[in-house]
Amino acid sequence: MFERILRLAIVLAVLGALYIAFWRLRGAARRNADAPPPWRDTRILVIAAQVAAIGLIWSAADYLWANFRARTEAIGLELNFDFLDQPSGISIADSPLNPNAAIRQALLTGVKNTFLIIIVGIPLAVILGTLLGVARLSTNWLLSKIATVYVEFFRNIPVLLVIVGTWTIILNAFPPERESWLPFGGSFIFNNKRFAGPSIEGGDNFGAFQVVVVIALLVAAAVWIWRSRIFDRTGHPHHRVLYALGSFVAITGVAYLVLSRPFEVTTPEVVDRVYIGGLKMIMPYAAVMIGLVLYTASHIAEIVRGSILSVPKGQVEAGNALALTGFQRYRFVVLPQAFRVAFPPLINQFLNFTKNSSLAFAVGFAEITGVIQNLFGQSRPAPQLLFILMITYLTFSLVLSAIGNLINKRLQIVGR
Amino acid sequence: MTDTPKTAGEGVYLGTDITLALAARDEAPLHSDTTPGKWVKDNLFNSVMNSIITVVLGVAVIFLLTRAAQWVISEEWRIIQVNLRNFMVGQFPRDELWRLWWSAYVLIVGIGGGVGALAHNAEDDAREKGLEYKRSSWLDLLRRFWPVLAFVALMTSFARTWLPYVGVLVALALVVAARTAGWAMPAPVRARAVQFMAVAIVVSTVILAGTSGLVAIVAGLVAYFAVASETSRRFEGSDARSTLLRQLAPIVVGVAVWFVLDAVAVDGFGWEDWGGLHLTLFATVVGISTGMPLGILLAVGRRSELPVIKGFCVLFIEFVRGVPLISLLLFSSFILPLLFPLSVAVPETLTRAMIVITLFSAAYIAEIVRGGLQAVPQGQTEAAQASGMSAAKIQRLIVMPQALRAVIPAMVGQFISLLKDTSLIATIGVAEFFQYSAISNAQPEFLGKEKQIVTYSIVAIGYWAFAYTMSKESRRLEAQLGVGER
Repeated sequence: MFERILRLAIVLAVLGALYIAFWRLRGAARRNADAPPPWRDTRILVIAAQVAAIGLIWSAADYLWANFRARTEAIGLELNFDFLDQPSGISIADSPLNPNAAIRQALLTGVKNTFLIIIVGIPLAVILGTLLGVARLSTNWLLSKIATVYVEFFRNIPVLLVIVGTWTIILNAFPPERESWLPFGGSFIFNNKRFAGPSIEGGDNFGAFQVVVVIALLVAAAVWIWRSRIFDRTGHPHHRVLYALGSFVAITGVAYLVLSRPFEVTTPEVVDRVYIGGLKMIMPYAAVMIGLVLYTASHIAEIVRGSILSVPKGQVEAGNALALTGFQRYRFVVLPQAFRVAFPPLINQFLNFTKNSSLAFAVGFAEITGVIQNLFGQSRPAPQLLFILMITYLTFSLVLSAIGNLINKRLQIVGR
Repeated sequence: MTDTPKTAGEGVYLGTDITLALAARDEAPLHSDTTPGKWVKDNLFNSVMNSIITVVLGVAVIFLLTRAAQWVISEEWRIIQVNLRNFMVGQFPRDELWRLWWSAYVLIVGIGGGVGALAHNAEDDAREKGLEYKRSSWLDLLRRFWPVLAFVALMTSFARTWLPYVGVLVALALVVAARTAGWAMPAPVRARAVQFMAVAIVVSTVILAGTSGLVAIVAGLVAYFAVASETSRRFEGSDARSTLLRQLAPIVVGVAVWFVLDAVAVDGFGWEDWGGLHLTLFATVVGISTGMPLGILLAVGRRSELPVIKGFCVLFIEFVRGVPLISLLLFSSFILPLLFPLSVAVPETLTRAMIVITLFSAAYIAEIVRGGLQAVPQGQTEAAQASGMSAAKIQRLIVMPQALRAVIPAMVGQFISLLKDTSLIATIGVAEFFQYSAISNAQPEFLGKEKQIVTYSIVAIGYWAFAYTMSKESRRLEAQLGVGER
């Protein structure tokens, strides 16, 4: 019923718009005797083309929707989101979720895991990519050849292959669980299921300490800006890294003493095949992370290399003429200009990284695609789940590119 | 999504500055006028830091290379030998393998001959304009295509019968013969090289897949365009008879070819029976070539001044580019079947996957073409408008040719990414090249023997050989076009 009313309303709205447009154009034509006939009048043609387009798109959508409803009704598929509250039947590694938790919860954990891949992976890929890009430009023939071989290899094979290949190598390179490696007196645990390392565990005043850390970060940022301003104004050496780091360490150190040991360092332990304490991660996560970073870094390396090469030679020569050292030339002349050129394609790579993180399901890591694949396997309603999946990635893409565009705009303004 | 500076070429993704810088660098000739001793000193030990790096890396490289060599020698490669056919052509009926060989031969003759003729045409063209033209020798071709040749040689070496050796040797001989023959053809024949290639492609497909359904339609389209170019060459006049012939003959011939082929209905094996590397390459080619017209339409639509059309195109492009391919493939296997009317049988998995891949590549191609369109100077359109051309003619005759020429390298780049992305159709159960790695490891003979690394490395070499060759070609084209435009 609702659907029908909506359809009627849209048709009426289109007809109304047409009617108004027609009368306005007719009025204009009467005032102007030289007006062309309607079939040559661009104003009318423009409207006619758009109405035709709307009609075409609308009828195609309507046709597909009717088919869709007929098919879903034939197989008894309900188009609502009530199933989100049913138990998911999924157990996700390293998540407190049990199989009885709602699907909603499982999906949220999936989104969280996707986010974990992106937030750790992108910085790593940028670091490795930059190193490789610079290495390819090195005057050292061996170094630049190794970087070239690396980049040309990983750029030209499918990312899915990189991920499953990494996973296989990890499976073969690390020992099975009962023969785990325990380097540093058991502070770390390595086997082909997971790895674990020391972590911190909050004590009595941990909440207060966290607040202090945030404040210390803000203070450090303020000190950084203050030192930069002094440098800009007077030209005295700023030492902003030293100042900022110093203030951060001083504040947190004092807070640590005053709050009487707000946290303790814990090392992981295995009791009855359950990992207690410490920081732990399952190996599929490591495989996805390493695979994606290796692959994306090869693309970023090309961007870095190209953007450095795109800085005009005259800039380097001018730097030489000013007697800048090699490092200064890079730091103050070449890299700032290269970065501005490199940034837009870098955002593209970040978006690709986000989309490629969906391949984690291939090694059994439960990020959002993996969770939804699992739910497909249980015959949960596919249209709704796929809708959720696509919306999730669209949101990630939109947020990332919005941030990127913001930074890019800033970069461009600074440049002019 | 992002507002990257839109320019021609790979610049859509990397920015023009970067692409041209890379292309110029990679094309730069190598100087070799130094003595070996001086070269080593200049390139390996020119500072203390570099000397340390060289020594450390040198030791690491030697160590890794010896380990790799040991592995290659000691590893058991039987899994590849047993599954060689699977990796190459999947489950194509074993008694019908001759179809694959012959279709490959026809394709080689068509493409080889066409390329030879086109190269000769380009040389004539350059001479006429008084430009310099560098004829590429067989050695140049070897240098450009060695990865693919090396891969073919590697795969052939796994064969356990003599047949593949003979087949590959015949194919190589045909490449040489066809290119030479194409070059030697008289000018009027050479002028029809593109049509010749298109017909060869159709014939090769017919040998494989018969003439039913889609193949007949494609053949009809090819006939239409071939006849259209022929009639427009012969009947140039503007009198009624010429115009009628120009307009009507292609349609008549095209429809006739379509109907005749459809009625003849030669049997063959459609793509549901294909697999392995053959399917991977085919899916890539089909994805690009069907995505191209759609992508061009979307690009033009996105630049339209009509908000409805522009909005639709923007929505479509940004939606497809914003979600991962895997989610679109899931769409093809779970939702797409629900969109067909109840009275119609739902197409095969691969067909549905190809529909989605076409839409996917169309969205990316649209962005590439848009970059090319924006690189065409505004003055071109204005000049055409001043000479009274219609909007459609301006697009077709003035803007598009320039835009498309500028984006050829980026199209090659898109071809490479699609080649790599087709590995994802393995996840919805299509047995293409990558999937045979899992399939062969699940065979009783190899189950639990942990041969994944062996199969993965062969698959990686396969993808790499094609993608690397294409990316070199893309850079080469970029350098040529870039230099021309400066």
